[in-house]
Amino acid sequence: MTRDEFEATAPMIDHPVFLILVSFPIACFSGALATDIAYARTADFIWTDFSDWLLLVGIAFGALAAIAGLIQLATTRRVLGRQPIWPFAIGSALVLILAFLDNLVHTHDAWTSVVPTGLALSAVTVAAMFVTVVLGSAYGRRYSVVVKRPERVL
Amino acid sequence: MKSPAATLAVRLALAAAALPVLMGAGGSEDLDPRTQIGPNPALPEARQFLLPPMHLPSVVPWKSGETPKVGADLRVEAFATGLQNPRSIYVLPNGDVLVVESRSPGIEPIRRPKNIVMSWIESRVTSGATSTGGNRITLLRDSHGSGKPEVRTVFLDHLYSPFGVALVGNDLYVADTDAILRFPYAPGETRITDPGTVLTPLPGGPIDHHWTKSLLASEDGTKLYVGVGSNSNITENGIGAERERAAIWEVDRATGAHRIFASGLRNPNGLSWEPQSHALWAVVNERDELGPDLVPDYMTSVKDGAFYGWPYSYFGQHVDPRVMPQRPDLVAKAIVPDYALSSHVAPLGMVFDAAGEGMPARFRGGAFVGEHGSWDRQVFNGYKVVFVPFGGGKPNGMAEDVVTGFLDDGGHAHGRPVGLALDRTGALLIADDIGNTVWRVHAAPQAADAR
Repeated sequence: MTRDEFEATAPMIDHPVFLILVSFPIACFSGALATDIAYARTADFIWTDFSDWLLLVGIAFGALAAIAGLIQLATTRRVLGRQPIWPFAIGSALVLILAFLDNLVHTHDAWTSVVPTGLALSAVTVAAMFVTVVLGSAYGRRYSVVVKRPERVL
Repeated sequence: MKSPAATLAVRLALAAAALPVLMGAGGSEDLDPRTQIGPNPALPEARQFLLPPMHLPSVVPWKSGETPKVGADLRVEAFATGLQNPRSIYVLPNGDVLVVESRSPGIEPIRRPKNIVMSWIESRVTSGATSTGGNRITLLRDSHGSGKPEVRTVFLDHLYSPFGVALVGNDLYVADTDAILRFPYAPGETRITDPGTVLTPLPGGPIDHHWTKSLLASEDGTKLYVGVGSNSNITENGIGAERERAAIWEVDRATGAHRIFASGLRNPNGLSWEPQSHALWAVVNERDELGPDLVPDYMTSVKDGAFYGWPYSYFGQHVDPRVMPQRPDLVAKAIVPDYALSSHVAPLGMVFDAAGEGMPARFRGGAFVGEHGSWDRQVFNGYKVVFVPFGGGKPNGMAEDVVTGFLDDGGHAHGRPVGLALDRTGALLIADDIGNTVWRVHAAPQAADAR
């Protein structure tokens, strides 16, 4: 196997721009869950203000990551592996929708901006995000395995 | 502001303005506001929306010659135009009219994304939030009572978000947003150049969410009463930001010392003496974002030492779930206000027509209320001056629309009434902040004859 062939076998959504962008929602949504828990325990408004910003920044970068991922998929002419991309795509969209709803709940004032609905949505968002990340990494792994034998795919 | 966060927030705001209809928060669900006027308003269940119902009027200036609407027994004319965000009016003993032109201090920090959206909404539906100018008092003299002032001067300049004015003897008090100032005044003066002295500092910044400080002197002149609004909608800036706010202060005029006269009043304005009972009355802006029909704004007599609920509860013992920690001990004490004006009308001015000289006789003894209006419901409410009849020192009937047409049928706001006063002929003066006008309303000639 030559080096060129190996590089052609890399997973599809691996562009550094995508990887940088997608790390924001992962960190921000996890952070928002932590600050929501802090608010639920202390009722100190500084924590819900943190949650608001974390959710907003996570959504903004998540949307940019989605655009970057779609561009890479659209402009890469390699054949997909057996593991389909759509569970990852749907999971990602669901995470962003959940986080957006969560952000709307967080626009309420004071206690009920977090307890109980905001906190619950933050937890569901993070859970959905980890499932999606697992789906995404499975997609990358399977694809790598498949493309190391390109003749079988093509 | 052109940062990505701001751009995104504006997009969110636009979506928020369009989406309530899609989300079933449309106008058809709103209560008839008349069911929320009077001593026992209908109070529906509190509801919090993903996107709260709102409806922003677009501001369209009055055309030349255009005026608000009044009934057949009244006349309305512009008393002064081209003002800079007139917010309140005070009539001096010699009949000179002081128009307080003010602008928001604009120091509320952006603590969270919502603040960006809210300040954008605020700037869309007000004229003074971000503009320059104002922060002064203009004097208008109409010696002949003709409704056409022949003298117009800048009476006091370089104030800081002023609102209330009170004259006791030769001491003129002006309530800036952060202090009561005292100026020497000589009758007939048209301009004060004295820099003034601070009588009592008031809660201003930081934040200064509700910034208008209404002012009233006691009838014997020894005390001043000051309305100090809350520093948030419902404690979202922390209870620490609310120290000595959402209250009416009693200030000793000789020493400047103050005490809390009454508390739990989210944003009290229009402080007035009820002419029969000589009790202190105020109009109060209640909390937002519990639905289009909560919480009704109100007018109430203000009792010494009383607590009226904010932030913990409204209309007595209706607990607000957004405040944590809760205070059942205070909720138990909360007094039900006297007379609801219906939800989101935003009353900011009130005047009692004690003498009933310049207005038709049916208004004698009752109160006019200036309802600034707001955007917190799908169907507009407020944007008018109403009259509440009084008997025996209490409201004794249904509120009646007196001056309307600030908002046209197309949802365009030409003006928004704020402070009210009676001039020396007994005509009603209305400060219209986005219309930059003071309107004068008086009895039509035939109505005056009929008395």
